[in-house]
Amino acid sequence: MLTADDSPEAIAANTPRYRRKSSTFIDGIHDVPDDQRHDQRLAPGQLYSTMSGRLFHSGKIAIVMVGLPARGKTHICVSMARYLGWLGVKTRIFHLGDYRRASVEGGNVPQDYFYPNASSASVRLRKMILQKCRDDIYTWLENGGQVAIYDAVNPTASDRIALAKEFAENDVQTLFIESFVNDQDILRENARNVKISSPDFHGMDPDEAARRYLKRIETKIPVFETMEEKDLNYVKMINAGRAFYYNNVSFNYLSHRIVFYLTNLHIKLRTTFFVRAGPATDEDSFKADAGLSEEGEAYAKKMTEALLRHREQERKALVDQGGSNEPLRPLSVWTSTRLRTIQTAEPLKQMGYKVRQRSQMSQINPGVCEKMSERAIRALYPEEVSKHEEDPYHHRYPRAESYHDLAVRLEPIILELEREQNDLLIIAHESVLRVLYSYLMHCSTNDIPKLKFPRDEIIEIIPAAYQNEAKRIHIPGLDPRTIPGSPEDIRIPVPGEPNPQLPPIPGMSSPEPGEVVFTRPIEKIINKSKDMVSDKLEDED
Amino acid sequence: MAPKINGFGIMPEDTRICVVMVGLPARGKSYIAQRAQRYLKWLSIPAATFNVGSYRRENAPHPSASFFDTNNAEGERQRRAAADAAVSDMLAWFKNGGVVGILDATNSTKQRRKWVLERVAKEGIEVIFVESRCDDEELIMANIRDVKTSSPDYSGQDPEAAAQDFRDRIRNYEKVYKSINDDGDEDHLTYLKIMNVGRQVFINRIQDYLQSRVVYFLMNLHIRPRSIWLSRHGESMLNLEGRIGGDAKLSHRGQEYAEKLPELVLQSVGSDRPLTVWTSTLQRTIATAKHLPKHYNQLQWKALDELDAGVCDGMTYQEIADQYPEDFQARDEDKYNYRYRGGESYRDVVIRLEPIIMELERSEDILIISHQAVIRCIYAYFMQKTQEESPWVPVPLHTLMKLTPRAYGTELETYRANIKAVSTWRGKGSTAKHEDPAPEGGI
Repeated sequence: MLTADDSPEAIAANTPRYRRKSSTFIDGIHDVPDDQRHDQRLAPGQLYSTMSGRLFHSGKIAIVMVGLPARGKTHICVSMARYLGWLGVKTRIFHLGDYRRASVEGGNVPQDYFYPNASSASVRLRKMILQKCRDDIYTWLENGGQVAIYDAVNPTASDRIALAKEFAENDVQTLFIESFVNDQDILRENARNVKISSPDFHGMDPDEAARRYLKRIETKIPVFETMEEKDLNYVKMINAGRAFYYNNVSFNYLSHRIVFYLTNLHIKLRTTFFVRAGPATDEDSFKADAGLSEEGEAYAKKMTEALLRHREQERKALVDQGGSNEPLRPLSVWTSTRLRTIQTAEPLKQMGYKVRQRSQMSQINPGVCEKMSERAIRALYPEEVSKHEEDPYHHRYPRAESYHDLAVRLEPIILELEREQNDLLIIAHESVLRVLYSYLMHCSTNDIPKLKFPRDEIIEIIPAAYQNEAKRIHIPGLDPRTIPGSPEDIRIPVPGEPNPQLPPIPGMSSPEPGEVVFTRPIEKIINKSKDMVSDKLEDED
Repeated sequence: MAPKINGFGIMPEDTRICVVMVGLPARGKSYIAQRAQRYLKWLSIPAATFNVGSYRRENAPHPSASFFDTNNAEGERQRRAAADAAVSDMLAWFKNGGVVGILDATNSTKQRRKWVLERVAKEGIEVIFVESRCDDEELIMANIRDVKTSSPDYSGQDPEAAAQDFRDRIRNYEKVYKSINDDGDEDHLTYLKIMNVGRQVFINRIQDYLQSRVVYFLMNLHIRPRSIWLSRHGESMLNLEGRIGGDAKLSHRGQEYAEKLPELVLQSVGSDRPLTVWTSTLQRTIATAKHLPKHYNQLQWKALDELDAGVCDGMTYQEIADQYPEDFQARDEDKYNYRYRGGESYRDVVIRLEPIIMELERSEDILIISHQAVIRCIYAYFMQKTQEESPWVPVPLHTLMKLTPRAYGTELETYRANIKAVSTWRGKGSTAKHEDPAPEGGI
């Protein structure tokens, strides 16, 4: 059953998360930085740093998941890692299932693998797999990591107590997070979402497939004890966040922060769309807060049409593939309090969509760079420009905001983004889209200032339990002059993309036009997380 | 503060929350209410507390325990009227731009909770119940001792008799008290139940972000008695020259203060019970903490570093006024919001201090050695100073402050080391190197 080489390195090499190369189009949540001790690039919202590299003086922490399959554990792990990483906490997920798959051919463990009275061979196998996973956890924590999220079923109280004791002996604090679900509707929904494409249930009525799947879990893992251990730190998330119970023996700041985050999380799948605001009458002024120009209004209409058409097409495709014929999820729209974003949402509002304005989403403050050309900025503030080029994410022009400031300001939006249950369209300035995109796709801070959101594209982020997926949807028929770069953006030069020429159209200047091609047959591209995780569909851990 | 309305006549943020406290007397309700209010106001969220007891006191200033007996019809009527008046005032306050209103009362029966929910929800305001439950007798007694010495109900009365009366009053409440959803028919409510000072917590049906934020803060609160000590670093070489910022060494007198500090702390703490010491990452605070006892745990926080003066770092106020006259004036006009070129504003400092405040709320005895602007922000939090006042509070060098949060406000004691130091306080418009604070000045 075991592969020839079962060293931790071999297991690591065989787990999916090590294989991928980072790209801003691919959710980076499972990327492992080369030098994690000094790597701050994946911490867009980091509030402060410490010498040890561990934040909040919280030491090393193991977050141990508890819960049967189809309780949304993987989704919770991944979301939590995304948020903690954003805060600058060095976090990594250890899915026990990855280790099992790497150790056992095809991931097919013996029938009695999860039984309390398993055969000694199964017990040995289980122990070995557990040990490898834990060795990796310790190695990672000792090398500068702060939080290890241990994703497994952990069904019995005695094992959990033993686990907490072992971690404590290694100077690691433990926080258990149980996802407890007794609402049958939620269970069915989860099972359907996860298992719909599994070949075992092919062609079966989705409800029937879900029922069989849940039954299979029961047979496979016959014993599960919900958490009641008085001496352990634990959070019980009940029915996907409807209620929480926690037992606090020695919670630290980070534990509370995690509970705070979890109170905003839900496990329903929904889509986020990003679009830019249309061009305004006075593009150059940050303070003027101008409304949409004529082209801007045309843009708002075309964007609205393209978005609604796309949503309808997606639904149709799903129905054609044998999905259920449910109506579309409702769509909410968030804009900033800047007039051009509000007016861009106007056609949707007139059609009855709910539009909310969020003051935190106003664009990055350009400070002294307002109304200045890139050339003028370079001439007037040569020192600032060189500092900016060194660290475009953290550098702040006089009186301006840095991207880091913007990320910190956007934190409430991120929590509300997690809270939203409807599909969501965000209409905002490119600087705001960059930061929100970087949260959902886990981009490096090096890349954030350079992310591009041309006006002729709607970005769609589709969440999946294991990782998010990004698509770009073309908006046809736009005036090419309104498309490029970031016309209402501040002219903060972006390193590596100098722009010595002044732009052709007044008010249409951009720090980064260079490579814009106007006639692209973009429909959708990028990565399909389903391909990346096809080997996970059969995973029941 | 009037709600912001833009050109389209829509309020950007429309969430309003009423926090309804639930629990027997002496469970830390008023304390929790007051802390939540202070925290929200510190973050610029309009918040106010409506204490039913203080409405009731207008008619019954020093009621005996029998007043709280449910069989006392007159007592019952007066308490009902007080609750009604408090809720009416709160609703009026919401109409004037309030965002988080806290109703501080026992609300110990299902009927009372239903009545509050109906009245408040009708106005489109979300309701979240916050219950504090406690079975730990020792904690309850500590709270009773604290309340009977500081509650207006017992001002000027014999402490022993007051304590006895208060225990009787609690017994009267216990007769009708029903914990939220104990019968399983209040599951539709949004509530937070804090048991035994946060050892167990139950959170039900959080509706939106602001609620989750309030809950998050309350989870970090504890009601165990404790104090916080604040001190600036000893006088630095740059202080002597009247220069701001930098990372300078201590002056001779600054070192003297560092040597004297352990004695000052011991005098204030009154025992050798260890404190946890937090310093910034700048050498002048670390040097100031150097002589503290070895069994004190010391931690350095980047978030406690001085306000970053950007391009003005290391300059005197005269130099700033000469080189950046507009900035100098802009800062005096709105010191809280003014951000130094390439540096920070007081508002920025408050945002980066939020985790520190959260950690302070969770911790017990802490000594913070930090810098003028940072101490001002922490001081403003505990002493409820407004954004107009806080950047101007005098925080003299070589002085130790002890803050003790109590149910009805924070107590302040100061200990002076009697070691001379320059004054770094500066009045509006002044460019003086060293100026004495206004006589009515705070600490």
